[in-house]
Amino acid sequence: MSDDYEIRVQGHLDARWASWFDGLTLAQDPDGTTVMRGRVADQAALHGLIQKVRDMGLPLVSVTTVNTTASIPSKEPRP
Amino acid sequence: MPTPLLQTKLYAPRTTGRLVPRPRLATHLQADALPRLLLVSAPAGFGKSTMLAQLLDEGPTTAWLSLDRGDNERVVFWSYVVAALRSALPGFGDAATSLLDAPSPPMATVLTSLVNELAAVADPVVLVLDDYHLIESVPIHEDVAFVLDHLPAQVHLVIASRADPPLPLSRLRSRGELVEVRAGDLRFTNGEAAAYLSGMGLHLGPVEVTALEGRTEGWIAALQLAALSLRGRDDAAAFIEGFAGDDRYVVDYLVEEVVQRQPEDVRHFLLETSILARLSGPLCDAVTGQPGGRARLEALDRANLFLVALDDRRRWYRYHHLFADVLRARLRDEHPERIAVLHVRASAWHEQDGDMTVAIEHALAGGDTDRAAGLVEGVIPALTKDRREGQLRRWMEALPEEAFTSRPVLANGYVGALMSTGEIRGVEPRLQIAERWVEAARAEPAGKLPRGLLVALPDQFRKLPGWVKIHRAGLALMAGDASSTVERAREAVVELDSDDDLGHGAATALMGLASWRQGDVAAAHAAYAETIRRFERVGYVADVLACAVTMAELQVTLGRLREVERTFRDGLDLAERLGTGPGIGPVRGTPDMHVGLSMVHDERGDSASAREHLVLAHELGDHLGLPKHPHRWRIAEARLREAEGDLAGALILLDEAERVYDGDFSPDVQPVPARRARVWVKQGRTDLALDWARQRGLSPDDDPSYLREYEHITLARALLAVPQPRRSTTPYLGRLLADAEAGGRTGSVLEILVLLSLAHQRDGDLDAALESLGRALELGAPEDYVRTFVDEGVPMLTLLRAASKRGLEGSYAERLLHAGGSSPSRPATVGGPVEPLSDRERDVLRLLASELNGPEIARELVVSLNTVRTHTKNIYAKLSVTSRRAAVGRAAELGLLPRRP
Repeated sequence: MSDDYEIRVQGHLDARWASWFDGLTLAQDPDGTTVMRGRVADQAALHGLIQKVRDMGLPLVSVTTVNTTASIPSKEPRP
Repeated sequence: MPTPLLQTKLYAPRTTGRLVPRPRLATHLQADALPRLLLVSAPAGFGKSTMLAQLLDEGPTTAWLSLDRGDNERVVFWSYVVAALRSALPGFGDAATSLLDAPSPPMATVLTSLVNELAAVADPVVLVLDDYHLIESVPIHEDVAFVLDHLPAQVHLVIASRADPPLPLSRLRSRGELVEVRAGDLRFTNGEAAAYLSGMGLHLGPVEVTALEGRTEGWIAALQLAALSLRGRDDAAAFIEGFAGDDRYVVDYLVEEVVQRQPEDVRHFLLETSILARLSGPLCDAVTGQPGGRARLEALDRANLFLVALDDRRRWYRYHHLFADVLRARLRDEHPERIAVLHVRASAWHEQDGDMTVAIEHALAGGDTDRAAGLVEGVIPALTKDRREGQLRRWMEALPEEAFTSRPVLANGYVGALMSTGEIRGVEPRLQIAERWVEAARAEPAGKLPRGLLVALPDQFRKLPGWVKIHRAGLALMAGDASSTVERAREAVVELDSDDDLGHGAATALMGLASWRQGDVAAAHAAYAETIRRFERVGYVADVLACAVTMAELQVTLGRLREVERTFRDGLDLAERLGTGPGIGPVRGTPDMHVGLSMVHDERGDSASAREHLVLAHELGDHLGLPKHPHRWRIAEARLREAEGDLAGALILLDEAERVYDGDFSPDVQPVPARRARVWVKQGRTDLALDWARQRGLSPDDDPSYLREYEHITLARALLAVPQPRRSTTPYLGRLLADAEAGGRTGSVLEILVLLSLAHQRDGDLDAALESLGRALELGAPEDYVRTFVDEGVPMLTLLRAASKRGLEGSYAERLLHAGGSSPSRPATVGGPVEPLSDRERDVLRLLASELNGPEIARELVVSLNTVRTHTKNIYAKLSVTSRRAAVGRAAELGLLPRRP
């Protein structure tokens, strides 16, 4: 199951890092953080992204799903 | 693992250059007082490796290993660990190395041997595992935890990682065996930053140092980059102000500063070579398509541009990880179309250089699946021999489906890799690809390959028709279909090249296993003889010895005790020939040969030699044994105890044997519970043996079948021991005999004939008894069986005496009588004449064998309870027993209990 994720790291990352992070879109926030947003194929892909963040020495601030349906417990069972 | 190891991975970084003294760390970290585990856990660029090199520089002997993703295979990982220790401790790890070099090394043995050898090292040793975060294999983490648990006091493990390793850290912490150095400890303080910057020749004021330290938060790599950016600048203050006031990712900002100041050709070089995990001059030339790579690397090294030397001769380098990441991200952004080309060039260079692993990784990274498929296909034989099927599978699974359709050898290799790990899913479609191409080739003139076929090594395609059949046979065996297993394996033998020893060995082993399961012992025996010959030629020693054990089991069934002995002797010779010499430990399977020889001596009645071999097996250790060893050793020991009269001890060993039983794909033709039932019979606990038979659903009326033969013979033994049987055991044994004879199982025939002669004796038919015994003696004499006869005790000795008088195998019968007379298995009183029981005592004995209690027996015989007690006491004394159960058992052995009419 793929979901949309938001990964927030400390520091401003240039937009050209987008392809390094498998095509997530990068947006710089005025508070000095960068938010990477986009569809992540599965948990393994998510961990791969977090590992890249780790390997760059970027302080990780938060990871959240932004797919609103994912957090509703009474959702229809997926096939 | 015979594949060459990269020496650059064992190179401990040298502490050249000026280093910042770090008394803060030195106070709680001393090289001569290291804990069991020192964990250095911090993100990239915190100077973990430098700190360790600094700490261990003048400390104890240090073995260093820089890990990479390729080390996620147990054999590879431990081969490197042993190599690192060997480079630090000359002569260390001979046993572990020879184990790891063999095909399919037993990891538990490797680890035990490693721990033992470490224990023997006199001086302190430190083993450093750098970049441990690259290890993701759970079995390796478990292995490391095991070694950590058993680490001798003078050996210390140091792990440097970007993430905490999944090891039992809290346990170590609570025992005070763990010291951690984390990012907070490694960060440069303001003072250290000042010392570092001034060491770099930068003369900055305290405000500027504080600004830099604050912006980088003491992150050493960032400070290093900042220092590089500042060098040769006139406007240091302005630069620092701009840097400090910017929110950009520190490394990005600084690398840009550094890279932008390089000439265009250097910038270009940096970007294009950033795809390389290791750099050398010639490799860089090949990748960039420009000469002068070596000179460029030396220049970068001199300019301190984030190159790390990987050897003393400065031939191999790598970029600092952070720097490489930034360069790669930039390359991907600026020249995405170049990346594939660069990887393919790197792949071609490594292929020429002979490092297929890196060549394959680059081909996959460059998306050149044709190239990757061809390379993977080419390494199948070597990696299969090294038992690295896991690595093969990972590469093959990274290839698209289409890569297999024109490559039957690759498809077949995938099938082999899957089946070696016991997996069937995904086998069928790949096997069909291989089969289709084999068919297509048949339509072509000899020696011509069909159009459209892709193959890396044409020789491998020639071998394919046979191997496809081998895999079909393997699939049939896994599905439990013995007859098609044999059929497919036969077809394989026909198809295989006569010199494909591995193929013939695999096919005949499958054939042997299936024939055995079908009960065709002679065919199984012939097949295994060929397997052994073939595996011996390719040097698969442990497999040869495993097959020898199986073959001997078949020879036991075939009644060829002398061949059993030769099989184990040859095996032991082979093991000793290969397992001696400098730097070579005993071969795996050596103790199994000793257990086998012990069993032969034991059957011959030579307890002393039998004991000797068991002791030798025990001294070599269970860990050097093959899968069947633990239970076989215990069974052999139990048999010896039995011969010594220690039946209770034998039972304990059989219980253990049952717990550790591993059949290793062989049919369980002599189940341990049946062996236990036989000991119960000997103890006179016939009821327990009969209960066992009932639970196993055994009945004398069953149709005989080979796979249950041993159990049936056991039941017959129990029935023979029943004091008042309802019917004779003779017909039952007769049916078993006919089946064993029809199956050519002379070993079983022999045992059944012995029992049959005892059964006839009980029936009162001495002529028939001696006829059966005569045939048994004829079979036993040339092979020199002893215990098969003398274990049957007094009734058999009586029969042997009679046989000897009639001149049946006279000298052999005499020998058996002698062995039986001196056998320690009989208590002294038995074997000699027993004081005859009175008629009244016989009556009491008969009732002791029934369910009646004392008062009931008294009522039955119309005597007082005291009289019964007196008779009972006398019976016990005459039979030299101390319990009712033992009395009944002994009486049954002596044939004192009449058959029920």
